[in-house]
Amino acid sequence: MTPEELIKKIKERFEVETHTSQTKTPYPRKRIWIGIDRENFKSLMKYLQEIDPHAQFSIIIGEDRGDYLSATYHLELFCEEEPSLSVAVTTTCPKEDPKIPSLGDVFPSSVPYERENQEFLGIVFEGIPDPRRLFLPDDFPEGVYPLRLDETGITPEMVKNAGHPYKVKKEGS
Amino acid sequence: MNGRIEYWVKIPIGPIHPALEEPEKFIITLDGERIINVDVKLGYNLRGLEWIAMRRNYIQLLYLVERICGICSFSHNHTYTRAVEEMAGIEVPERAEYIRAIIGELERIHSHLLNLGVVGHAIGYDTVLHLSWLARERVMDILEAIGGNRVNYAMNTIGGVRRDIEDKHKRAILEMIKYYREEIMPKIEEIFLYDPTVEARLRDAGVIPKRIAVEYSAQGPTARGSGIKKDIRYNEQLGVYPDLGVKPITPKEFTGVIKGDVFDRMVVRVGELWQSMEIIERAFDQMPEGKIKTFPKDNVALVKLKKADGMGIGRYEAPRGETIHYVRANPGTDGPAKWKAREPTFPNLFAVARALVGEQLADVPVAIASIDPCLSCTDRVAVIDSNTGIKRILTEKDLLKASIDKTREINPNIKAKPELIGTTCGGVRL
Repeated sequence: MTPEELIKKIKERFEVETHTSQTKTPYPRKRIWIGIDRENFKSLMKYLQEIDPHAQFSIIIGEDRGDYLSATYHLELFCEEEPSLSVAVTTTCPKEDPKIPSLGDVFPSSVPYERENQEFLGIVFEGIPDPRRLFLPDDFPEGVYPLRLDETGITPEMVKNAGHPYKVKKEGS
Repeated sequence: MNGRIEYWVKIPIGPIHPALEEPEKFIITLDGERIINVDVKLGYNLRGLEWIAMRRNYIQLLYLVERICGICSFSHNHTYTRAVEEMAGIEVPERAEYIRAIIGELERIHSHLLNLGVVGHAIGYDTVLHLSWLARERVMDILEAIGGNRVNYAMNTIGGVRRDIEDKHKRAILEMIKYYREEIMPKIEEIFLYDPTVEARLRDAGVIPKRIAVEYSAQGPTARGSGIKKDIRYNEQLGVYPDLGVKPITPKEFTGVIKGDVFDRMVVRVGELWQSMEIIERAFDQMPEGKIKTFPKDNVALVKLKKADGMGIGRYEAPRGETIHYVRANPGTDGPAKWKAREPTFPNLFAVARALVGEQLADVPVAIASIDPCLSCTDRVAVIDSNTGIKRILTEKDLLKASIDKTREINPNIKAKPELIGTTCGGVRL
């Protein structure tokens, strides 16, 4: 399937903004960028998985774009063929209501990335099967999102002694 | 003396040491010897690179991304430059693409040799470790001769490479390939393809079936060992790789079966060592003369990048799997608005954590080592007994002991006859 065919197929079902970028190597290669609102986002991802049941999900790029948050999902379709299709789907949400449906039931491998974006950017993934923290320590203050652009940094109250570095008690004592 | 205080000093080696890159914690729940749940906790080595990246320009970022990992430093650098080139529409000279391919394959050789040794160490065959790591010195010397450093060779720049491969380097590389073909590869193959103890120990350990590998997006040799024919160099038609004839390697071509266990992943690595050497030779045959970078100086590149608007994704097949970098331009400034990287260990970890359920505790070190994580992952393992609920922390030493004991059970003669696989390597008796 060529990139143009895929875009045509998607546009028959969904209202999306698309553009393709092309690299300038000896073998030019197209990448498809799709923008979609968050209401139709999950059904689009399900449709992409229908097109290729072996679609490989690779990354969620969460971004703070000033007045709204965006999440870009990169997928690879037909990954056992040459050339495969590289698709990046972007959806956005306002900062006051930062909710995006979770893809945990469509692509199970997206859950670690959702946990990552949840703690770093404060995007709430609705219906995420495992909402615990992955990177930040469990006692990190709630409601502080380190990668938001309006983040001011660490206040002195947040700094804690992580324990004596050299003296460790014997087990059981 | 009453109330004696026990001091337990832990010396962190890192983050610069190439083998100790990402400390991770695996919380394993046990029922007897069987694992019933594996949980992964990351972030012990969180350096806030994304936050630093927002304050740097594109050229300064080259040196930051290189220091994500010592082993795949070229891969990260390469992926990042590809992302920037896609964002700004920069063309790369053909000779530079060939040089990138050659350095990338040299790096793949040294990474795979490292991992073969680590897996040997995890099952108690330290001779394998000494053999492959001594062999690895040769390719690291070559990389030092070309780039000036054993790790972090800083070869890439935006729009090309920074150093040319000269005739003396070409001669040294071809000599090195001859040495590997004749001296090292027969021994590596004998150990990893035909040794009965290694086969008994690695077969059916840490099995990742194809369905799970697709579901959890396994990458690199982990995915190919499970039978997914996926290689970014081949899928993405990256650079000049289509001219070099890259094909994904699966264990089927060597053993005829695909089980997705540790043995299969090792077979893929052995196959890729052969493939990498072929690619380098082919690249030398086809490499044209010409310039090696588009911009004569870095500030010229920055002026061009200042006008850029848009975003780019770079992808590359690092030795461990697919690396992705994303860059979004900040028009009018010389730095990016957003940079994000994903290394292959991240999805592989969750795939192997899922695969460990139902396995034995003694297989944990070798299963984790087989995805080639930036090691020190087996730093600490917390074990919870499901009957009593007691939690105990196992160190790397305890785990390795359990793993080595299992090998001894399979083949009690190993200690008695170490010269079975004892080999000479480059004139040095191991």
